Amino acid sequence: MDDINDVQNVEVASEGKQYIVVHLGSEQYGIDIKYIDNIVRMSKITRIPMSQKYFKGVINLRGEIIPVMSLRLKFDLAPDEYTNATRIIIIKLESQSAIGIIVDEVKEVVTLDEASIEKPNSADANDIRMQYLSGVGKHVDGLITLLNISSVINDKEKEMI
Amino acid sequence: MDVSQYLEIFIDETKEHLQNLSDQLMVLEQEPENMDVINEIFRAAHSLKGMAGTMGFKRMQRLTHDMENVFQEIRSENMKVESELIDVLFRALDALEAYLNEIMETANEGTEENEEIVNTLNSIAAKATGKEVPEGAAKTTESAKEGTSADSGAGGEAKYQSISISDFEKHTFEKAQNDNQNIFGITVYLQESCILKAARAFLVFKALEELGEVIKAVPSVQDIEDEKFEMDFSLLYFTKESLEAVKNAIESVSEVKQAVVGIYTVPDLHTSDSAADKPETKPEEPEAKQPAAKAPAAAQQAVKKQEAKPAQKAAAQKNAQQKTAKPTVGRTVRVDIEKLDVLMNLVSELIIAKNGIVSTSSADEESRLNSALNEQIEYLESVTTNLHESVMKVRMVPIESVVNRFPRMIRDLTKKLGKKMELHMSGEETELDRTVIDEIGDPLQHLLRNSADHGLESNEERIALGKDEIGHIYLDAYQDGNNVNIEVRDDGAGINVEKVRNKAIEKGTITPEQAEAMTDKEIIDLLFRPSFSTAEQITDVSGRGVGLDVVKTKIEGLGGNIECKTEMGEGSSFIIRLPLTLAIIQALMVELGTEKYAIPLGNIQTIEDIPFSEVKHVQTKEVINLRDAVIPLIRLDKILDVEPGEFKPESLTVVIVSKGDKQAGLVVDNLIGQQEIVIKSIGDYINCSKLIGGATILGDGEIALILEVNTLV
Repeated sequence: MDDINDVQNVEVASEGKQYIVVHLGSEQYGIDIKYIDNIVRMSKITRIPMSQKYFKGVINLRGEIIPVMSLRLKFDLAPDEYTNATRIIIIKLESQSAIGIIVDEVKEVVTLDEASIEKPNSADANDIRMQYLSGVGKHVDGLITLLNISSVINDKEKEMI
Repeated sequence: MDVSQYLEIFIDETKEHLQNLSDQLMVLEQEPENMDVINEIFRAAHSLKGMAGTMGFKRMQRLTHDMENVFQEIRSENMKVESELIDVLFRALDALEAYLNEIMETANEGTEENEEIVNTLNSIAAKATGKEVPEGAAKTTESAKEGTSADSGAGGEAKYQSISISDFEKHTFEKAQNDNQNIFGITVYLQESCILKAARAFLVFKALEELGEVIKAVPSVQDIEDEKFEMDFSLLYFTKESLEAVKNAIESVSEVKQAVVGIYTVPDLHTSDSAADKPETKPEEPEAKQPAAKAPAAAQQAVKKQEAKPAQKAAAQKNAQQKTAKPTVGRTVRVDIEKLDVLMNLVSELIIAKNGIVSTSSADEESRLNSALNEQIEYLESVTTNLHESVMKVRMVPIESVVNRFPRMIRDLTKKLGKKMELHMSGEETELDRTVIDEIGDPLQHLLRNSADHGLESNEERIALGKDEIGHIYLDAYQDGNNVNIEVRDDGAGINVEKVRNKAIEKGTITPEQAEAMTDKEIIDLLFRPSFSTAEQITDVSGRGVGLDVVKTKIEGLGGNIECKTEMGEGSSFIIRLPLTLAIIQALMVELGTEKYAIPLGNIQTIEDIPFSEVKHVQTKEVINLRDAVIPLIRLDKILDVEPGEFKPESLTVVIVSKGDKQAGLVVDNLIGQQEIVIKSIGDYINCSKLIGGATILGDGEIALILEVNTLV
C-alpha cells in the first residue's frame, strides 16, 4: 500500500476504477464508467446553427433532446468519419443535463488500480489539451489517456463564437 | 403533535385573509357605514387571530386581537369609522404582512412588537368605550359571546354518550369518582369552514389537559391527529373544574363551533361488558350473512346480542352511518408545481407519440385505406388535445392573485404623491400559466408606479388643462388568441417624444444624426434601453433609471413582449403580450434546404408568394411592399447558415411574422404544414445565439428547431 501513498492526490478508491476505453484515431482514451449513462449507435444529428464548432448538434434519445459534441473536433483532430463502429457516449454528470460525445469506437471496459495510473505531469499544464486529462493509465494493451470528463464538457476556454 | 406541518397552509390562508382585509378596508374607506364590510373585516381579523394563535405567533395574534377589538366597538356602534382609523388599520395590515414575510423566510414571526400600532388601536378602542378595556376581560366576554351565539345556532348532539368504555377504563372511572373528580363527556363541534381541523383539536386537547385529564377520545387520538374525523369528536374527561370552566376553555379555541359538555354517568357493569363486547360483534356480522349452516350458533348468538342492546347498537350504527355518508369533501387540492410539470412532460411525450403514429399511418399506403385505424387515430388526437388543455388549465391561475394588491398600492401613492387618482381594473379573471403569474407582479407594479408618478399630471395641472381632476389609471387584461394582453394605461400627459430625443442625444445613447432619422416610435423604444429615465426629479416612487429595461427583460424572459403607445396630452399605454402556454404550441413547420424548422403560429400573420421581381432594395436591404407596408426580408438560409437547396424556384415563399407593430418576412424554401409541437430545451451546453428558442421532436423522431421570432425581427 505504500506505493499508493507515493502517488499524489490519492483517489479514495483503492480497489481501482473502471474505465470504458474508446478509440479516437490511433489513441486510446478512458472514461470513468460512473459518468456514463448510456452508449448508443450513431443516429441522425440535427445541426444547431451558430453553435460552437465542436458541437455537432442534437439527437433525439427516446424523447430527450441531447446535445452532441465531437471529441475529435474538441481535440483538434481530423473531423469524424462515421463508420459502423462510431458510437455516441451519453455522459451524465451529477446535477447537469446529459450530453453526448462522439467516439470512433468503444473497445472495452478495464479496471485500473491507483498504482497503474500516472498523474499528469504539472510541467505539461500549459498544454491546453492537458486540462482534459486526469492521468494516464498503464494497461496490457498500452497506455490509456484518462479523460477528466467534467472539464471536457464544461469548457471554460473561449472557443465560443 | 407538531404544528409546523401546517405552516404552509397557514401562510396561504393568512395571505388570503390579509388580501381580503385590504380589499374590505378599501371599501370601508369609501363607505364607512357599511355594516357588511365591518362584519367581514371583523371576521377576517378574528380568523387571523385564531390562526396566528394556533401557530404560536403571539405578536401577530396580539395585533389582530386589537384590530378585532376595535371592530367589535364599531359593530356595537360605540364608535364610527374615521380616516385616522383606516390609516392605522392599513399600517396594522402592513405590520401583519411584515410578520408573514418574516414567517415565510424564517418560520418565525420575528421580534417586532409594533407597539405603537397596538397602542393606537387600543386607545381608539378605549376612547369608544370610555374606559380602559383590560385584555383578559375582553377575551372572556368575547369567548362567552361566541359560546352563546354558537349555542343558539344548530344544536349539537351530545355524541359522547355513545362512547363505549372497557373494563379497564371503568376502574379508572371508579377511582376518579372516589377522588372527587368530575367525569364529563364532551363533544366538540368545529366550524364547517375549519381547515386546520387537527390543529384545532390539538388545541382543544391542550386546553383540556391544563385543567384535567382526557381519558378517551372517539375517534382515537391518533385518528384525530391524522385528521381522520368529521367536524366533531367526543371525549371522556376527568377534571376538578366546573362544567362551565371546561366549556369555556374549549370554546375559547377559535373555529370551535360548539362544545357540548355534560356529566358522564358511568354505565354499570352489565352495559359496560356489552359495550366491550361490541367490537367482537361486528366482525361476526358478515359471517352471519354467510350460509347459516356454517356457523348457525354464532349467527344466532350475534342476533341475540344485537337484540339485547338495540339502543346502543342503533346509536353506534348511526354514528357509523354518519361517518360513511359524509365523506370529507376537498374543495381544492394544493399540488406542488413540480408534480404538474411531470404531468405536463408526460402529456408532451404522449403528443409526440401520437404525432409518430399519425406520420407513420399517413406514410403507409395500406393503413391509409384502413378507415378504422384512421378513426382511432382521430379519436386519439382529440383525446390528447383535450388532455393537454386540461393539464394546461390546471396550471392556469387567474391574474387576480397578482393584481389585487394594486388598489392598495395606488391608494398609498395617492397619499404619498398628493395626486388624486383612481385605478380601474378589468379582466382580473384572465388566466395565465402559474410560472408566468409568479413573475409578472413586479413588472406590472413598476408600470403602475410609473403611470402614477410620471404619467399623471398634478391635480392643479389637470384642472388647468380642463381634464378631470382625478387621474385615471387603467389595468386591463384580456385574452387575444394564443396570447394574454395586459395593458397599463393612464390619461396623463403622455410621453414627450422631443424630450426623450434630446435626452437620448444628451446621454450619448444616439447621435443627433441618428435622432433625425428615427421615428417617434423608435424614440419611444429607447425608453426600454438600460439606464434611461426621463423623470426630471428622481423620486422614491420611480425614476431611478433601472426601470423599463428591467421590465422588458423580465417580460421577454417569459416569452412575451412589451410595447408603448403614447399620445401627447392624452396619456400613454404599455401593452404586455404574454404567451398563454409555455410548453406546447401550434407551429408552422418549414423547410430550409434539408433542415426543418418550426415557427410559432402566434407570431405568423400571413404567408405570401412573392415573385423575385417584387423584391426591392432599400439601403442594401431587401424589402417587399405588401399591401402598402414595407416589410424587410430576412433570408433565413443565410442567417442560419443552411446549405442551399438544389432547386431554384421562380418566386419566394415568405412567412410574414410580427412582433408588436414590427413586421418581417422570413424567406423559406418550403412549407410543410401546421403542427402541435412540444417545446424542449436544447440545454445550456450549446451557445447558439438567441435565434433558436428550443427544439421539438417530430412524429418520425427527427428533431426540428424552433425559431425565436422575437429575436429575428
